[in-house]
Order: sequence, then structure tokens, then C-alpha cells
Amino acid sequence: MIWLAWRQHRKQALFTAIGLALLAVLMVPTGLAMRHTFADLGLDDCVGALGTASVIPADADACGRASIQFNGQYSVLTMIGVLFLVLPLLVGLFWGAPLVAREIEQGTHRMVWTQGVSRGRWALVKFGVAGTVALVASVVYGLGVSWWLTPMSQAGQHGRFNIFFFDMQGTAPIGYTIFAVTLGIFAGTIWPKVLPAMSATLVGFLGLRIALTTLARPHYLPARVLTFPVKDAAEQTNPAAGDWILSYGIRDASGKMVTANAQIACAPDATGPGAACGADLGITSGAYNWQLYQPGTRFWLFQAIETGIFVAVAALLLLLAVRRIRRVA
Amino acid sequence: MEIVLETDQLGKRYGRAWALRDCSLRLPAGRVAALVGPNGAGKSTLLHLAVGLLRPDAGAVRVFGRTPYDDIAVLSEVGFVAQDTPLYRDFTADELFTMGTKLNRRFDTALAHRRLAQIGIPRDKPVGKLSGGQRAQVALALAMAKRPRLLLLDEPVASIDPLARREFLQALMGVVAETGTTVLLSSHILADLERTCDHLIVLHASQVRLVGDVSALLTEHRRLVGPRDGGSPPAGVAQVVRAEHTDRQSTLLVRTNAPLRDPAWKAYDVTLEDLILAYLGDGGSRPHAAWEVAA
Repeated sequence: MIWLAWRQHRKQALFTAIGLALLAVLMVPTGLAMRHTFADLGLDDCVGALGTASVIPADADACGRASIQFNGQYSVLTMIGVLFLVLPLLVGLFWGAPLVAREIEQGTHRMVWTQGVSRGRWALVKFGVAGTVALVASVVYGLGVSWWLTPMSQAGQHGRFNIFFFDMQGTAPIGYTIFAVTLGIFAGTIWPKVLPAMSATLVGFLGLRIALTTLARPHYLPARVLTFPVKDAAEQTNPAAGDWILSYGIRDASGKMVTANAQIACAPDATGPGAACGADLGITSGAYNWQLYQPGTRFWLFQAIETGIFVAVAALLLLLAVRRIRRVA
Repeated sequence: MEIVLETDQLGKRYGRAWALRDCSLRLPAGRVAALVGPNGAGKSTLLHLAVGLLRPDAGAVRVFGRTPYDDIAVLSEVGFVAQDTPLYRDFTADELFTMGTKLNRRFDTALAHRRLAQIGIPRDKPVGKLSGGQRAQVALALAMAKRPRLLLLDEPVASIDPLARREFLQALMGVVAETGTTVLLSSHILADLERTCDHLIVLHASQVRLVGDVSALLTEHRRLVGPRDGGSPPAGVAQVVRAEHTDRQSTLLVRTNAPLRDPAWKAYDVTLEDLILAYLGDGGSRPHAAWEVAA
């Protein structure tokens, strides 16, 4: 039975391998180049010195200029990286959806289910082979992208906790891929034609991903609040902390939001144009910076939660798919 | 007499519509049975129930005394060729036979090779590139290599040309003679059945209309021609299956239960085709186009 599943799907497996190889050709040289630049700019040491605390002393950020230079040099790559977000979906569309749908569309399920193997075993082996290939591919992809993105995250422009960047590294892509494949399989048992199954996979995948990312992920754990003064600021947020900032702004002494999406820190002895320290914006004495955030140290915990949710949904879909298969003829 | 396939009040429903209803029949071992009926009569449904692809909604189906649904013990004794002879089109015949050995406890690859060699079908070409007739032969070889005690064929010759059809049926008769396998073959091409089948099951509008041994059925049915309005049919007629009238005379297709002696009626033998059409005609709702008589 494993022979059959492999023989049927070896072409797709080959394409998957070629896809990963192409990805590696793109990522390995650029990843090495980024690391090289990162080290040349001295970012290794200064990022290390910043640590992972959410706030640091106001005069601590020695990496600013080097970070800006680094980010300027590699911002294009970051945008290319965002394209990797669709890869789990592609696996679901081209691995998962045709798995059962094509058999039923072409009627071959009636041939293979009337050999001497039960439907349950057929499903188990076929899903197992597809799942294993998808798992291997997604582990390589997830860890590869993590490695590739590390310098960009550390340079502070795109923290690894940010939407999009969180989604394409670590274990999350593994969960997405497994989910996409099982969604494709399940869709194929409901709409036993390849194209409708693919469309349903596309809609279902994007739907759940967007809903969870925007509505659920910020609340996996209670967010923390951080405040620090506007005037006489002795501290500032740490760009290397990798915090996921959900919202921020400046509140006045009574706690009312004065200016959303702004952050001001004035030195005690400020002079020149900045000396007013936001007085023209209505910022009065006693105002403070406020931010709602998920600490960067929760990254792996959030990765585990996100992966867990998608793996659980995948398991449920698989169960439903097997039940459906027992009723198809 | 061993009964290979037995159904009792068998029914299958899709949504609210019954695809098959109150189907009771028994198929003895060693027969080559034709399952006949127009499109949508429930032929495929009956075969799918028999091979365990479907689960009945009413009644029971037994193959070798077992319920076939998802039962490997039944599957290993049954060969099945589904409608349009589906095969993995990118597989070669050799790869399909390898699949057969991997998926069945008993699989006679040598038999399959011999069968394809006899009719000259290449084993190393993807079956998607073979002709429809050749593909049907590969599907038959794949099913026969299981050495099944029951072979179920769902319209195996419907989509292939007359010459290939005859070759296919010859091949089928060859293996039947060799192995003694019981065969249940659905078709709506009547002329083929007369040559190949010795048992008949007529399905119409989801119900069984006629079951039995072909020669016995042909013996007990007669076409009677007599005067119009001769009153009641003559003695010896058990059932008038179909009546046609012109101004002067009536033609009846009847089932008899005793010799006919009334001199007013002339009795003729019936052909299998007459018989099938008579049993299918009574509904009156059947569109004529549903029938292909001997392409």
C-alpha cells in the first residue's frame, strides 16, 4: 500500500523537493550575506548587549545607526520573504486537495477500494505518506526561514513576533502546512472534484488563518502594559526585545489617550526644536507613554499555541475525512 | 446449489429517492448473469452494494454468506470492474499488476501477463495511452488475477467499439470457462447478452422485474397472436406481460404455466431481447432513447 501511495504521488513529492531546493538556492547565499553584513556592522555584540528586557536605559541604544544601515540594505529581501507565507497553502492545494478528490473524480476509488485492502487502511497509508512528506517539507521550510530571518529580526525592524514574520518561521508553518493538507483532503471528500476541492481549501485556509491571526492570537495570553514617562525619560523601549506591540500611544495624567500611535521621550535638558516636548500636541505634564504588548520572551510559547491549534484542527479534519470516506461509493 | 450472491428486500436511497428498492434475488454459483435495465435503473447501485462499496439502507445483501461492506474477506473473493473501467492512467499495466500483488493476499501475476500477451497489449505503456478496449482488457486482467469466485462487471463494454466489445466478451467467456467463476455483468446492450449469459436479472425503476435462468425463461414465455378481443387469454397463460392491439388482432407476450392448446391463438418463441423489452415496457414512462439495441 505504501508502494502504491508513493507511486501515485512521487511526482508531487519531486516537485516539492525541487521547490525546497530552489528556496535553498535563494536563501542560503542571501542568509550568509546577511549574517556577514550583520557581523561587519558590529551588530552581533551590540544586540547581545541590549538583552531581551522590554525597556532599556535611554542612552543604551548603540545599535541604532548600524540597524538602520542593515535594514536599508536588506529591506527588499524582507518583502520577498513575505511571499513565503503562501507556501503552506500551496502544499495544501497541490498535495492535499487532489489526494481523495482526484480518485473519486476519475472513479479510481472503485478500483482501489475493491482490491484486498480496507478503506481505513487505504486512507491511513495515503494520508500518512502525504502527511509525512508535508511534515518533512514544512520542518525544513520553517527552520530554514527561522535561520534566514534571524538577523532581520535582531536588527529590530521586523521583530519575529510581528504578523507575517511570526507566521513564516519556527513551528507555526509546520502547523499551517499540516492543516492545509488535511483541509485539502477533507475538502476532497466533501466536493469530490479537484478544482472545487482546491477552491474550498483556498477559502478555508485563508479564512481560518486571517481570523486567528487578527482575532485570536493577540489574546492567547493576557497582554502586558508598559508605561514610561515622556519627560525626563530615563528609559526607552528595547528594539532588540522582539516584543509584539499591540497598541501604543501617549496618555495624560488621568489616563486618557491623548495621542495614539505615538511615542515621545525627551531628555531632561532638551534644547532646540524638541525642547517643547510635545506641548504643541497637547501633551501636558504628567503625560506618559503607554504600550500594550506581548513580551518577546513569549515567542516560542505563542508558536506552540498557534501550532497546537492548527494541528488540533487538522486532526479533527482528518477524522471527519476518514468518516466521509467510509460513506462514499 | 451454492448461492454466491443473495439479496433480501435490499434497498438503497440517495436523499429521498430510492436507487434500488425491495430487491430480492439469488445468484447460484457458476452462472454468467446479465443485469439489465435502462440508465438509472439501479444496476450500478446493486453492484456497488454487492462489492461492499455501499452500505444498504434497507434489507440485506450477502456474498458467500457474508455482508460485503468494507469486508476484506469478501473483497479477496470478488473481482470488480467498475463502470468506464477506471485505472490509474499514468500507471503501466505492469505497475497495476504490482499494485495488485501489494494490495491482495492472492494475486496471479502470471495469469494477468498471459491474458495481455494473448491479445497483444503492451505491459510497459501507461494505460492512459491505450485504447478504450485495451484498457477494458487490462481492467479485466487485473480483476481476474485475483482469481475471484465472483466477478462483477459494471457496463464493461458500454464505451468501447463493437469489435473490441466482442473481443472483450470472448476473453471474458474464455476465463469463465477456464476458472468456473460466477459472473454478474450489467449492460444495456442486449445483443451481447444473448451470446454470453445464462442467467438474467431485469431491473427497472429501482425494482427487480424478472429473475431466472435464461433457457427456462425463454421456454415459459411465448408470443401469442390471435383475434382482437378474444376475451380473456387462453388457458395456460399465467400472466400477460405485454399486449399490443391492432384493429383485428392482438399480440400478447405471456408467461405460461401449462401447454397452450387454444387453436385461436398462434404461439411463437420469444428471443431474449423480446423478453427483456417486454418486461421493461410496461412502465410506459421509459424514454426510448435510454435503449441502445445492438450497436
